[in-house]
Amino acid sequence: MDIFTLILWVITLIWFFYSIFKDRKKTLNSVKMSSGMMKNIAGDILAVLLMIGLLLTIIPPESLEAFLVKNNTFMATIFFAFLGSITLIPAFVAFPLAGSLAKAGAGIMPIVAFITTLTMVGIVTFPLEKKEFGMKFVLIRNGLSFAFAIFIAVVMGVLL
Amino acid sequence: MKKILDYARKNLFLSFVILVYALLLIFKTPLALGAIKNSGYYFKEMLFIMPVILLLTALLNAWVPKETIQKHLGSGSGFKGSVFSFILGSISAGPIYAAFPVAITLLKKGASVTNVVVLLSSWAVVKIPMLANEAKFLGPKFMLMRWVLTTIAIFLTGAICSKFVSREEILELHPEEDSLEQLSLDSEFCIGCGVCVKLDPAHFAMLGKKAEVISLKNLQTPELIKAVQSCPVQIIHLETSSPRLKAKTAPARS
Repeated sequence: MDIFTLILWVITLIWFFYSIFKDRKKTLNSVKMSSGMMKNIAGDILAVLLMIGLLLTIIPPESLEAFLVKNNTFMATIFFAFLGSITLIPAFVAFPLAGSLAKAGAGIMPIVAFITTLTMVGIVTFPLEKKEFGMKFVLIRNGLSFAFAIFIAVVMGVLL
Repeated sequence: MKKILDYARKNLFLSFVILVYALLLIFKTPLALGAIKNSGYYFKEMLFIMPVILLLTALLNAWVPKETIQKHLGSGSGFKGSVFSFILGSISAGPIYAAFPVAITLLKKGASVTNVVVLLSSWAVVKIPMLANEAKFLGPKFMLMRWVLTTIAIFLTGAICSKFVSREEILELHPEEDSLEQLSLDSEFCIGCGVCVKLDPAHFAMLGKKAEVISLKNLQTPELIKAVQSCPVQIIHLETSSPRLKAKTAPARS
């Protein structure tokens, strides 16, 4: 558990015990309600996790170097942006991977596109986000994020 | 069996993924086992974060008044509200799906679509431990520049999203959860006297020996308020947005 999760736990637990102490019934009712909400999305979250595991097995992150398209930066950028959109990779895998991609000869643009869409655009979490926020919301949020990721990549490629 | 089928139908995505896994297990066993192993890390991550998110949304629901959220994160909160959402998203832990319940809770309490998008995106993208990691592997200059550009992108995305999607549109997807907080009955302590059913048959019915809430519509009728007040064991809880009604219907227990 990283330090931020830990801090969140500590703060929430303190608040929770204070809440129980102040109004037991209200607290428990509220927890019951939130549990209902969680139960609603638990199946989808599980599906997302299994899906990520599957994707990472079919396309292991280490194999990405093989996908490098050295001669056309723009195509590589788009391609890596898509690649990043598909899955969720934890930071401790993503950044070393980006580092090694840079060493292997990938340009700044594809790398920026990759790590930006990696976190900002979620195709695996798409069904879950759709269930919670609706189709239009998900399409617009993820579409814009994708476009901005490409834009950020281009700006950084030009400036760095 | 019927229950399982029902669940499968309601969770199509999960059913699909399980089907894929089942096929792989049969035809490509090592691949499937590898995938299960790979999912393990994410599963652990979920177990660490989801319980605390559950508690957090419950506490937000119970103690943070609508007015506070409306004021600081609502449509009138302006740029300050977005900055606040951005900080909230940046300091919180966990993957993006952990942000969904929090975002929905805040939205119900009056946060604007812009701020919800800013919260979601910054939750997903801007993580302080991640920034440190990025600086380590790709250089501080790279990290800083990407951070600045991403921040701008997040604010713009939030502003644009709110032009196309309204709060009401999203809230429509959460009708029953939303109304649950307004009328409830602790059937555990119901003595089955039937007074509420007699006074307000539109909202209550006897289910066996206990009363149950049967409707969550029109929660401001005088019949309902009368029923709430007349319950001899004071187990009916009604919460409406109007403070006048709330004060009147608060259970008079010491």
